[in-house]
Amino acid sequence: MDPKIKATDGFLFHLVRKLRPALADRVAQSGRLDTIILGLGGQGSKHAGLMHDFGTSIVAGVAPGGAGTRVYEVIPVFDTVKDCLQEFPDVVAASIWRHYSTARDAALEAIEAGIPLVVLISEGLPLRDVRDIIVAARKHNTVLIGGNTPGLIFPPERIKIGMLPDVFYPEEIAPGRFGPKGVTIISRSGAILYHMSDAMASVGIAQNAVIGIGGDGAIGSTFRDLVPLAMEYENTDLVVVAGEIGGCQEELLARDVRENPARYPKPLVALISGAHAPEGKTMGHAGAIVTPGLETGTFASKKKALEEAGVPVVNSQFDLIEAVRAKLGGRTYFAPERYYEKMKTIWDAPPPQPSWTTLVTKVEPDNLVVRGYRVQDLIERASLVEAAHLITMGELPDEGLAASLTLLAMEAAVKPLPAVHPAPGEDVSKTFQKFILNDRALTAFEPAGKLAQAEKTVFALGRFAGYLAEVQGHGTALKAVKAQASLGEAIFRAVTGEKKLDKDRARMLEAIVVASIDHGVTPPSAQATLVASSVRASYEVALAQGVGAITDVHGGAGEKAAEFFLRCAGLASGKGWSHEDAAQAVIRDYIREGRRIEGMGHRVHRQDPRRDVLWVLAERTGLAGPCVAISKIAADMLREVRGLDLPINVDGVIGAIVADMGLEPKVAKALFIFGRLMGLSAHYYEEVTLQPIMRAIDFREAVYRGVPERPYPR
Amino acid sequence: MRLYENEAKRLFAAEGIAIPKPLGVVSSAEELVGRKDLGGPVMLKSLVLIGGRGKAGGIRKASGAAEAAALAGEMLGRRIRGYDVERLLVEEAVAEAGGACYAGVTMNPADFNVTVIVSPAGGVDIEQVAKETPDKVLRVEIPVNEQALPDAEAARLADFLASGLPDGKAQFDRLKGVLSRLYALFQKYDCKVAEINPLLCTPGGPVAADAKIVLDDNGLYRQGGLFRLLGLSEVRHDVSEQTRNELRAREAGFKYVDLLPEDHVKEPEKLYVGLVPGGAGYGIFSIDEVANVGDRFFGGRVAPVNFMDSGGGPTVAMVAEMFHLLMDYEVVDLIITSRFGGISSCDIFIQGLVGCMRDRRAAGRRVVPVYGRMVGTDLPSARDFLEKAKRETPDELADMHITVGNRTIMAEVIRDGIRYAFERKGWA
Repeated sequence: MDPKIKATDGFLFHLVRKLRPALADRVAQSGRLDTIILGLGGQGSKHAGLMHDFGTSIVAGVAPGGAGTRVYEVIPVFDTVKDCLQEFPDVVAASIWRHYSTARDAALEAIEAGIPLVVLISEGLPLRDVRDIIVAARKHNTVLIGGNTPGLIFPPERIKIGMLPDVFYPEEIAPGRFGPKGVTIISRSGAILYHMSDAMASVGIAQNAVIGIGGDGAIGSTFRDLVPLAMEYENTDLVVVAGEIGGCQEELLARDVRENPARYPKPLVALISGAHAPEGKTMGHAGAIVTPGLETGTFASKKKALEEAGVPVVNSQFDLIEAVRAKLGGRTYFAPERYYEKMKTIWDAPPPQPSWTTLVTKVEPDNLVVRGYRVQDLIERASLVEAAHLITMGELPDEGLAASLTLLAMEAAVKPLPAVHPAPGEDVSKTFQKFILNDRALTAFEPAGKLAQAEKTVFALGRFAGYLAEVQGHGTALKAVKAQASLGEAIFRAVTGEKKLDKDRARMLEAIVVASIDHGVTPPSAQATLVASSVRASYEVALAQGVGAITDVHGGAGEKAAEFFLRCAGLASGKGWSHEDAAQAVIRDYIREGRRIEGMGHRVHRQDPRRDVLWVLAERTGLAGPCVAISKIAADMLREVRGLDLPINVDGVIGAIVADMGLEPKVAKALFIFGRLMGLSAHYYEEVTLQPIMRAIDFREAVYRGVPERPYPR
Repeated sequence: MRLYENEAKRLFAAEGIAIPKPLGVVSSAEELVGRKDLGGPVMLKSLVLIGGRGKAGGIRKASGAAEAAALAGEMLGRRIRGYDVERLLVEEAVAEAGGACYAGVTMNPADFNVTVIVSPAGGVDIEQVAKETPDKVLRVEIPVNEQALPDAEAARLADFLASGLPDGKAQFDRLKGVLSRLYALFQKYDCKVAEINPLLCTPGGPVAADAKIVLDDNGLYRQGGLFRLLGLSEVRHDVSEQTRNELRAREAGFKYVDLLPEDHVKEPEKLYVGLVPGGAGYGIFSIDEVANVGDRFFGGRVAPVNFMDSGGGPTVAMVAEMFHLLMDYEVVDLIITSRFGGISSCDIFIQGLVGCMRDRRAAGRRVVPVYGRMVGTDLPSARDFLEKAKRETPDELADMHITVGNRTIMAEVIRDGIRYAFERKGWA
């Protein structure tokens, strides 16, 4: 059961209702108190996460130039408050975390947009800027808290705006169920709040709202603004103010209590610190200084003024406990033991494992799930264009969209290519890199709008068909393709150079490409792309980095596997041996020659989920030959000869099929790169939208938090 | 940051407020001997960052170089309210013909509005004028933080001054001009206070015979132009004189204030308590807490000795230095410490403390008992570290008593610590 009270029963809602009745009505409908955060530097981003995890509804971040990205991986970012309010019109509070040199502008933006509560966390603002902010807040009937405040926390409804830690305890009406009643604390300092709360909690006195008003010389809301507001809230039984030497706000509060007693209908206790402070020395806060010669601002002046107004003044935890208890008539709100248990749980908890999010592909042993769909379903049923849309946008496209994306891909496929001259025997990934980096058409294609990521990816796939055709010397065949043709047909022409479409072979090639779509963020190619993306390299550079990392060791094993199976098959037919004997003989040769047998073994999978579906497809289309047959017994033969237990992997299967299709071995690697282009593209976009720039990426810390596995729809 | 009078005047001059003709800044009487340009009456003004110089003999009038040199010899090297007089401003004395005014711009600490205060009865303490003859002071609040003084307000203020001066009408326009410039520079240079007292009315117009400018430290980052104008290269730390401990803390990078004068003689029956608290607010409060616990339970025989604030995230070395400083401070009998909350790490804290205790024991330096409590961020690793450290070096850490968790409130930890220290001293 959710322990917290309804947001609309809490203090924050009370505040919203006072300030913006119409907004409060809408909030009452939704039951959600939306907040936003301005300033997404280190502090802001960190506390966005802490606030979110505490329970605050943070619907958006605002950072100029940040539109389209996310903070804490889940909170969308907008360029301006205005843009943000278009999407989330019912924002009740904004917290400002910007650097002191730009905090003024951010605060003014939030205030002028009409947000009722603005919490200025930033410290070090010049007084002139603070005055501008205060003036604007007065004009727009905004409750401005701070600057230099730790913020606010509302323990019963579990909402916090700012950086106060989770050390406050609410009323508990039944074990594990909070109530809204308690003491409201309003303080100039942050750290002192914990000690006040700690003292009260030790005798079972709850806090229903804790507000830091800031320690600077000029602040938005003062004691006499906030104490009456708190007393108006029906669930506040008592208010404690924590003041300190310096300034005259405590004295002004005292005067207001005397002159307007109706505004102070509930008990009030003041804790004032600085009784033993020397004159003329600033202690911590800019505002906390006893000015020689001034009659206000001293401990004595504050104590005298408050006591004359009938407000008890305390200066120690013991006295605080006594004074509050006396005023509450001994009422308690929870068993102190519950508070100690909670604190112990929080502090004994092991530090959370650092992690970051990918929403693209879930990788687990013998299972590979792209955007919720099992990869074998994609291989069997999805076209290349559908797969590309899925992996970038998160959903399969409808037929119309798939058709228009296909047209786009085909348009890209036949555009002129950059002049690239592969050296003899050059690795195909190197050649592809050259193509990508020199491809002006790819760079110039800059789609905007919601489909941009899918369009760019599909366009890149089309270009790849062109590169592949060029590498194979089949450029003319590709150019002659009809505009309405499928991307599968384009691949078929690029690979084979044949103009007459062989549907089965085209289907097989497309399936191989789809099978190579992605394997999460840990493969070296994805890592290389992510590193480039994290420093915001261009799409083309990030892609080229990933492609360059596809070598004989990673992703390119299909080529070597094809050579291996061809040699086995050749030996079997040449000598009339069984596949088993031929395979064993070739394995022994490889061992003697000191060569690795590629396409065997996998870091994650025992039974690679892409394996069976490709074998079945190859057999169903009649393309399977001796190489596929040998690929099925390869693992057993390897164990018999070498004692190694290495199951065949997807590279091995692709190599075998490519070999049986009579294609050159290097086509296996080219097809793998072709397919992986989709994954690299998706990781690029994910990095630039979800993550901060130039982060230190620990690839082992990635956690899949995308959609759960789901059945393929058609 | 407060400007010296000569600096404030240079700023006035740059902004079009007339000042007496400056004749230089000297740091020795010899510099004035034989100066040909000191023919007429000159003012010698001590350059110290504190008010009330006149009463303390820090402002003198001389005629001629010889008298000026003699007076300078008397003035230099004196001390005014804790500030050493090391330099004097020398300037032409202004003949006061048409009266002395007060004009000041500051922020009202009650509602944070910029406030302009004027009085035709200048040249004396304005607080006193306000108390004794309030009708001679006009305060005008400028409610929306305008960057320039609205003309109507400038006129109202100038009119108030003019009507209280012997030949005020003739000065009206120029008074208005000075007020507008003073207000504008207050805003432009991020001032906390911009004040002229006295503003002397002369036939040639009003002259700022004195100048007080206090800059808002938070605005200094954008006042590069002002720094260049004044030839300043770094922010000045303007407290009278820092104590040995305060200097040491400043070098280490944390805030520290001594509560006792440096020459304080220890009272033999009192326990002196050093504080390493967490957070500025608790830094102030814990001083009171120690004194109050002393009053309540120990007959008032307990004296807190310092304020300290570690800031957000101190390093292990900085934490160790906080304890070293207090253990090197011979007055201290006991150290009370607290870690609580979310920002700073218990782990860093305990490593720093344990390191300090071990280093001092190894080096044969004085070790002061430490009592405290830690709860908060990184507590599990901090607790593990503490337990292991105590097993490894029980002797070194015998005088370190750290409560883990918050079952005991800080006030009780303070009481326990003081009781322990009293018992060690054999006090009842």
